[in-house]
Amino acid sequence: MTWPIIVLFASFFLLLLLNVPVAFCMGISTICAIFAMGDLPAFTAVAHKITTGIDSFALLAIPFFILSGLLMEKGGIARRLIDAANALVGRFRGGLALVNILTCMLFGAISGSATAAVSAIGGFMVPLMNKKGYNCEFNTSVTVTAATTGLLIPPSNVMIVYSLATGGMVSIAAIFIAGYIPGILTGIALMVVSTIFSIKKNYGKGEIFSFKQTIVRLLEAVGPLLLIFIAIGGILLGWFTPTEASAVAVLYSFILAVPVYREVKLKEIPRLLLQTGVTTSVVFLLIGTSMAMSWIMASENLPQNISEALIGTVNNKILLLLIINALMLVVGCFMDMTPAILIFTPIFLPVIMKFGIHPLHFGIILIMNLCIGLCTPPVGTCLFLGCGIAQTTVSKVMRHILPFYAAMIAALLICTYVPGLSMWLPEQLQLVK
Amino acid sequence: MLLKIKKVLDMALESLIMISVAVLTLDVLWQVFTRFVLKNPCTWSEELAVFMIIWVALLGSAVALGRGSHLGVDYFISKLPEKLRIKSEILVFLLIAIFALTVFVIGGTNLVISIVHLGQVSPSLGIQVGYVYLAVPISGFFMTLYSVIAMTERWSVKDIQNTQRKDAI
Repeated sequence: MTWPIIVLFASFFLLLLLNVPVAFCMGISTICAIFAMGDLPAFTAVAHKITTGIDSFALLAIPFFILSGLLMEKGGIARRLIDAANALVGRFRGGLALVNILTCMLFGAISGSATAAVSAIGGFMVPLMNKKGYNCEFNTSVTVTAATTGLLIPPSNVMIVYSLATGGMVSIAAIFIAGYIPGILTGIALMVVSTIFSIKKNYGKGEIFSFKQTIVRLLEAVGPLLLIFIAIGGILLGWFTPTEASAVAVLYSFILAVPVYREVKLKEIPRLLLQTGVTTSVVFLLIGTSMAMSWIMASENLPQNISEALIGTVNNKILLLLIINALMLVVGCFMDMTPAILIFTPIFLPVIMKFGIHPLHFGIILIMNLCIGLCTPPVGTCLFLGCGIAQTTVSKVMRHILPFYAAMIAALLICTYVPGLSMWLPEQLQLVK
Repeated sequence: MLLKIKKVLDMALESLIMISVAVLTLDVLWQVFTRFVLKNPCTWSEELAVFMIIWVALLGSAVALGRGSHLGVDYFISKLPEKLRIKSEILVFLLIAIFALTVFVIGGTNLVISIVHLGQVSPSLGIQVGYVYLAVPISGFFMTLYSVIAMTERWSVKDIQNTQRKDAI
């Protein structure tokens, strides 16, 4: 550890404890570290790093996926997916919990954010499940954890951030495709846990739909689900870049939400545009200042030093992955996903590559891990949003959500030690170099 | 008085952001349209989009600061007694103001000057790239302003309105 690095981390953690926004923590501690190097305060260089960090056409997919997610959230798309899921899995014991999880996965397949899923699906499913006699805290736990599967199932904004953080070593298309199997696996793990609970609590079975009714309900969901083929299919077929695909997703969800389903009025659009702009800015400022911070870390050889230290002490891949997983679980409890990805990817990437772990596989591990962090206190965006929507408290939910954590950790460990689950699909589609 | 300034500032910046996000979306859709339908891909759309997102992101960062939407770790601070918490919040905004002033305003101005001096012109739109980077000092100015407003608010008023819903992506 060199002196500037010590200053960098010490000031970073101090600022973090003070509740300085993470983006500013990174910026200010970068300035402190430059001071510690004994250089002149390189304000201009830092300003330059911040702007070049956000000066990218690929990053534009983020605001567009945020906007299309908002349109889907308000546009009655979740309800049509719920109907389709209900026709498929509603009939089993604890059917509504399964419907909830399946809808989150379907919603995740057309939208890139987990918070949109929590409010769109939770806002409808939690009251419905409460009415049918399911425990409110159980319902909250199901919604909150299932919503994170959408971050693994593409499109996904955090994957775009990861692709950027690897410096383009992993393409957006590759990490998108890599997420399908781990995302579905997590969803299945959550379904298993919720079924066990439903049997224990003797929750009811849903109605059984006739074949014809099932078909009608599935057809209703074709509109929204067509977006999978337009966006992801369009990227794979080389029709669109990910950014163009995300803009097309905005147009498509606008058409569904405004003229077709008539759930969003035109005069509501400016508010959605503003929310998109502000949420985007939060993410982009994080990206900008994290670029400045990783520039300092790289110039002090921090990643290389860490990998040398680790290679000296940890000599196998299994142990290394276990250490990284444990560390990231703790980080995820305290930090949101985007800053955690931006800070830790440049530090760990050289390390895991020395151990022969593919950056694509590592990205999936990192995201799965931080997904758990979105559902844990003290900092868990999805958990808090879900508790707000269900009108319950985090402390009440804790006892009920623990088994769902176990399911997510189980899925994480399987994907950690079976690289094929992440690598096979992108390899088949020749997206891996 | 202060609230009034903040309201006007919010309105102006927010409308600018709304319009920019709308234009940004149409711009990229136009790019897709020209390639698929007109078979004559638009040359300037990508450049315009990147320039606009720089402005949206930087001005939006200032608005987000005013709304308290930036992601932070408020767990430890929330354990402090009320008075101490407000004092530490004032300190936080002071740090942000210093950062915005030194890096965004001073550093950003130097950046603009040096790039304009190089005379770098964007390839397809023919805009001086230096002017695009004007977003840095301008947003820095607004960030400083919002921090000062937030500090004065906390200095005088006893109770502060809660922050809004934070959105992770």
